[in-house]
Amino acid sequence: MSLLGLRAALGMQWRTHRRGIVVSVVVLSVMMVGTAGSVAALYSTPEQIQGYAEAVTAGDALVVINGRIDGIDSLGGVIADEFGFLAAFLLPLLGISLVARATRAEEEAGRLELVLAGSVAREVPVVAGLLVATAAIVVTTIAFALGLSVVGVPAARSLLYAASLGALAFVFAGLAAFLAQVSLHTRGVYLWGLLVLAASYVLRGVGDVTNTWVTWLSPLGWAEQAAPFGAMRWWALVIPLAAGSVLAALAVAVAARRDLGSALLRGGVGPAGASRWLRSPLGLAMAIHRPGFLGWLAGAVIVAGLMGGLARQFIDAVLANPAMAEALGVTAGRPVDAVVAITQLYVAIIVTACAVQAIGSLRSEETAGRLEVRLSGTLSRSRWLLAHAVVIGAGLLGIVLVAAAVLAAGIAWSTGAAADLAGIVAAGLAYLPAELLVAGLALALFGLWPRALPAAWAVVAFVTFIALLGPGLRLPAWLLDLAPTTHVGRPPLGTVGEFQLTVLGALAAILVVSAAVGFRRRAVPQH
Amino acid sequence: MHASTSVIRTERLTKTFGPSRALDGLDLDVAAGEVHGFLGPNGAGKTTTIRIVLGLMRASGGHVELFGRDPWREAATLHARLAYVAGDVALWPGLTGGQCLDVLGATHGGVREDRRAALIERFDLDPTKRVRDYSKGNRQKVALIAALAADVDLLVLDEPTSGLDPLMEQVFQDVIRERRAAGCTVLLSSHILGEVEALADRVTIIRHGRTVSSGTLADLRQQARMHVHAVTLDAPAGLDRVAGIADVVSTPVDRRVESRFSSDAEHLDAAIGLLHAARIEALTVTPPSLDELFLRAYDEPSRSLGVVAPGAPATPVR
Repeated sequence: MSLLGLRAALGMQWRTHRRGIVVSVVVLSVMMVGTAGSVAALYSTPEQIQGYAEAVTAGDALVVINGRIDGIDSLGGVIADEFGFLAAFLLPLLGISLVARATRAEEEAGRLELVLAGSVAREVPVVAGLLVATAAIVVTTIAFALGLSVVGVPAARSLLYAASLGALAFVFAGLAAFLAQVSLHTRGVYLWGLLVLAASYVLRGVGDVTNTWVTWLSPLGWAEQAAPFGAMRWWALVIPLAAGSVLAALAVAVAARRDLGSALLRGGVGPAGASRWLRSPLGLAMAIHRPGFLGWLAGAVIVAGLMGGLARQFIDAVLANPAMAEALGVTAGRPVDAVVAITQLYVAIIVTACAVQAIGSLRSEETAGRLEVRLSGTLSRSRWLLAHAVVIGAGLLGIVLVAAAVLAAGIAWSTGAAADLAGIVAAGLAYLPAELLVAGLALALFGLWPRALPAAWAVVAFVTFIALLGPGLRLPAWLLDLAPTTHVGRPPLGTVGEFQLTVLGALAAILVVSAAVGFRRRAVPQH
Repeated sequence: MHASTSVIRTERLTKTFGPSRALDGLDLDVAAGEVHGFLGPNGAGKTTTIRIVLGLMRASGGHVELFGRDPWREAATLHARLAYVAGDVALWPGLTGGQCLDVLGATHGGVREDRRAALIERFDLDPTKRVRDYSKGNRQKVALIAALAADVDLLVLDEPTSGLDPLMEQVFQDVIRERRAAGCTVLLSSHILGEVEALADRVTIIRHGRTVSSGTLADLRQQARMHVHAVTLDAPAGLDRVAGIADVVSTPVDRRVESRFSSDAEHLDAAIGLLHAARIEALTVTPPSLDELFLRAYDEPSRSLGVVAPGAPATPVR
């Protein structure tokens, strides 16, 4: 292995990706420490922690979702359980994105060619990408460990837990480095990486429920088996570190031998012409939004399916625990309604994020230069925007309806009683005005001030934060009221105010109209 | 009068982006049926001009007409009569080349199927490959075929051949000639001067958002200096005293005299007269190449062909 040009490659990667790296690390650390802090505040007495432990281990439902935590009857265990689901996705994603951005994305953009034309050995950019990613993971790990110690978890256990999550991210960083060598496009790296992650999740779930060695087949299982709040198996860290290193070494070896721009997994051929439908404004808009929508739909279906399918266990285990019910903001009403209310709020977050992402892809059309080409034809700006608005609106509605149907089916299967489909659908639809309000805000930014469009993601983050943690953290009412989802009234548990929904809808309409007016008057492309 | 013959016309066009002035009194006149070369270095304002002409951006000042109408107000209606190839060709990465071609064609108000098939053949394009697997040249071919296969009155091409190889460049030039023969007007912004020289009936050269020069290539050459190389039996007398003649170098070679000088069109006759008096044995008069015209327009704007006051083209607009 040659390390010629490593210093230059490291400098280049840090300089070009530092903002993304810093944001990822800070956001993850804040989420982790925020969760730890809110858990520590909620479960301040041994009795409360004991109650929580009994609740989550009563059935298999939460074991499947969050994992089987050794030492669940300690503060650290509760934090690990609460953070389990998020961590299982966010840390692998951190590893994948850090490496994918630094390797195949650079190659696809043609920048790797420039770098390799200089005095830089062929494998060095991969090495540099892995080193930068590892450094970011180490920093995240340290931040996690410090944050946990601060809220009162013993230092050694904090460090082992943080290190097990860091090692998890490292496995996927190594995997992404390898995938970046064999996949032609960056999206392939993400796609295959997420497939491996999904398989790991399933294996870990199966192993945890059956209490068998299957857990040991999964990188998520390795992190769990370090048992930071139980037996503290430091040696278990060796497995992910070794696996990640082997994958990384493999990636470096392939990078040293392969041609620039080559890949094992290449695209195939497709149709030689566009159908009549694809040529129409609606058809192309649908082609543009389809991949994103399918991803969000899959997420909504998984959430609705899990919550519905595990409704029985959820009712028995979680809602029987008053502290937990309070944290979830469901203290009154029928238990089944509580499951629906919680799930529909989750689905509403997914739909809101989906809307903002879809409008972000309009901006991508513009910055990539495709909008300019599109508008140089007979298509007017209004019709272009209308076609996209129709497709986005229909897509959001579709996600709401499919998720409601899946949830109803899951509940019926789990509880053995027919679910109130109409009520579940109505609860989902009640969130539409709030979702459209955020979508309208994003669209207004696109029409009036397109450079500020990323700010819409801050709104999504805020809505998510309020929806997930608002009730538990006992935030002041005015802060909760800033999130449009608060005004929906938690259907079917609470009563839905028609007036509030009308106001939300009217605000959304005003935003959409101002977006249309602004878009008709501004330059395209506007940088 | 203008409206009847001009397909694109801008007068004193200005465009500001915040403090920077992209266009500063730009005049452009593209007559029906001609191939009009639009030349200027990077950042001169070619793309901004085209975007204003297409109604994608609004002019800060001045006047712009497309088919005699206001492109900002009637963008979509006017676009039915034109096809546009952008400088940076951007296609939808998930679609195949053929699908993108049809989608682009649909924005141009449809493509002629026979022409589409013939052009795919001539440009040697594989329409079944995904766009993200295409090279730059192939992406450019997709955009070009979509525009060239459309049944339109005007083609607006912004540096359309920067990624094409010489063979494809030849195909491109052939197709443009065919389209002009069929009555199509072409606005061709390009860096490839040979291409403009081969295709353009008239050219407009801009610099810093202003028109530096405009006219037929012959007109422009008229205003520029020709290079004369002569071999005479006697030494030509008085060459350096003729007003429009410069850079005179006369050297005796083998009992003859070899002279080199440059002359403007007006004084060429006098120069040849002097050479004739010295008994010409060989004579070459080289008109300026477009490269030369172009470079002169930039190197010495004050002394260049068509010294223009802002807003007035060098030669009378037809």
